[in-house]
Amino acid sequence: MAAVICEVVYRGIFQKNLAARIVRGIVLSARKSGRWGIAFGRYGDSPQRNGIPAKDFAIVADTKEELEQNMARYEPKHVDVTIVVDDTLAKGVESWAWYGLQPINRLTVPNGTVLMTSVQRVDDLLRDIHKKDAPYKLSLIRAKASFSGLWVYKEDHTEVRILGALAKIAPSFLTLDGVCEAIREMEWGSDLKIESAKKAYARLETREVKITEGNAEVPYSFEMPKWWEMREGVTIPAIPVGKPKEDGKGYVPERNPYFKKYTTRSMRPVINFDTCVKCTLCWIQCPDSCFDVMPDGTYDANMEACCGCGVCEAVCPVEQCITMVNESVFEDNASQWEMWRKDKGAYQTWMTQKIGDKKATVRSHGFRFRGQYEEELKSDLDSGGVEITAGIPGENAQHKTA
Amino acid sequence: MAETTTFTNATQILEPFRGVKKVTLEEYFTSGHRTCQGCESALVMKLMVKASGPRTIVLGSTGCMYVANTTYYTTPWVVPWMHTQLGSSGSAALGTAAGLKALMRKGKMKSEPINVIAFCGDGGGADMGLGAISATLTHKEYNSLILLYDNESYANTDIQLSGMTPYGAHTTFSPPGRAKRIIHTRWKKNMAGMMAAGHPECRYVATVCASYAVEMMNKVRRALTIGGPTFIHSLDPCPKGWDYDPMLSHELGELAIETGLFPLYEVEDGVVKYYGKTRAIVEGRARKPVREYLLKQGRFAHFTEEDLEYFQKKVDETWEKWEIPAVIPFRRLDATRAALDTK
Repeated sequence: MAAVICEVVYRGIFQKNLAARIVRGIVLSARKSGRWGIAFGRYGDSPQRNGIPAKDFAIVADTKEELEQNMARYEPKHVDVTIVVDDTLAKGVESWAWYGLQPINRLTVPNGTVLMTSVQRVDDLLRDIHKKDAPYKLSLIRAKASFSGLWVYKEDHTEVRILGALAKIAPSFLTLDGVCEAIREMEWGSDLKIESAKKAYARLETREVKITEGNAEVPYSFEMPKWWEMREGVTIPAIPVGKPKEDGKGYVPERNPYFKKYTTRSMRPVINFDTCVKCTLCWIQCPDSCFDVMPDGTYDANMEACCGCGVCEAVCPVEQCITMVNESVFEDNASQWEMWRKDKGAYQTWMTQKIGDKKATVRSHGFRFRGQYEEELKSDLDSGGVEITAGIPGENAQHKTA
Repeated sequence: MAETTTFTNATQILEPFRGVKKVTLEEYFTSGHRTCQGCESALVMKLMVKASGPRTIVLGSTGCMYVANTTYYTTPWVVPWMHTQLGSSGSAALGTAAGLKALMRKGKMKSEPINVIAFCGDGGGADMGLGAISATLTHKEYNSLILLYDNESYANTDIQLSGMTPYGAHTTFSPPGRAKRIIHTRWKKNMAGMMAAGHPECRYVATVCASYAVEMMNKVRRALTIGGPTFIHSLDPCPKGWDYDPMLSHELGELAIETGLFPLYEVEDGVVKYYGKTRAIVEGRARKPVREYLLKQGRFAHFTEEDLEYFQKKVDETWEKWEIPAVIPFRRLDATRAALDTK
């Protein structure tokens, strides 16, 4: 191995600056370690959208010639290290420039590493990560996903902890000293950040993943239109109008068959159909038209279309009728309404468990008010800071009826 | 679906939805677009065609609602939609309306009123396409609606500032620095006011916000029913460019209205009518301080107290000094007022 290729898989916009810092940090650390490096984004991901998975790449090589050889590619076809900065991406990615779902470890070479920030247990993560036909390593940095936005950055040290971990994973390319020196020179560097990188280096948890382990599900895909099926000019068939749910009641729209939002989502709404007052607000205010109208007048969030923005929870007038819950605690994309219709008692138990888990309902998806990130980071950085509670299910709750 | 009597200006008669429960269930802009989490502009598209119904042609100039909605041979549109160039939403609207009319006159198409809606972003509409929109609004014999979805930047290409970007906002072109805090020092254009004041034969101009979905749809229905060239300006909170948690999209829309920053009104045949929360403000309800709106967005996170005060003062002016508050920035000379008053 004379070059190490890294990809950073991240949530578009939310983690754009984070990913940029990581790949630039890799390149500078490589220089400080006497190697050559380059960083670039994936063309097809631009223009990015909040939440839609995107990728940046960084390549480090022993010599300039080897670096140039790797630069001659449009984008790497395989990578030594897959860096994942949000563990809900473990379910796979459907990026802008891709049809269907790619397993998160798809580009990872045999015996390569998937490096992930997560507070989940390894067994739980392996329920999400697809099986691979070659063994690889799963390395974990214990931290919550770091989400912020384009302009205000959340200084939770995630970028330097990734760099410290990389020095452990690929020591012949990035030395810990090189990483520390690079961090010192960055405009966002500090002595405290160097300490964080060293801690991440020392504490990295790594585990071999066997070919028998992982999610056995076949990733979602579909038949793409063939070039000879395309129409003259650049015309695209329109989507047919939808139909009633059943017996002429309710309404289910037809949807774009070629782009699903399964992996755009980092949270999803859990609905209490028993307390729903049928006010229509979630349905009418949903930018993704994800709510199907049920025959009884309630609304079911269709998981193929929900991107997890949380507007439905914000507009719902009834407290805890709609609650956004972290995507990682769900096993499938089945209809909640059907589950509720089949067995109301069982649904109540399931729902109470999902919305009762504080760790899964706390939300930090970008800027809510000035000073918020500082508040979130008050306690120790190793656990990703304190949990923010403002508005979750929160500041909007004051308008709600119990 | 009734029609007005004259063939030349026949429009669909779209009665207003009387309450949210009466809104049509059908979606004509459906799921599977690649917009951001919490995209209000996607919501505007959905509500716009929900309001106009199935006999509608939509034209879209370049911007988020083109790029994110029709990517890689896929679409969420149910009604016919066509892309047009960045500055040409006005031309496309007029040309399509004229084309339909010609085809119907020649008997090549069944004669029926078809809604023509062209949408544009603030970059495509208020900056580049302003001339073409203005020209279209003078062609009174063609029925078309131009809907400006205003997310206050060139959001598709990662947030460059436009003529509609508010004072002081952080964009790719106006990053606040240590030496200079406020880079963008221009005040936003007043698009709806400009369109209403400058086009005497345009019979309908309105401002809308998708946080008030039913009212928004009813303004679209009113515009299409009145016919001729019409114009609607929609303010769309943008989680990507304004930098906030997507969950707040709806709330920020409400705050823009409640702070008096963005007034809701319609101008029908030259008569200004405020509606919704804006009407309450006109009738005396206190405006919320703009800081409640500004400090929820990362793009204003660098504002000092001084900046917040300046912003508030500018908004106050639109309400206290303008002859038609928050609509038209004209002020009468005191002498003129005196002369008129004594007449």
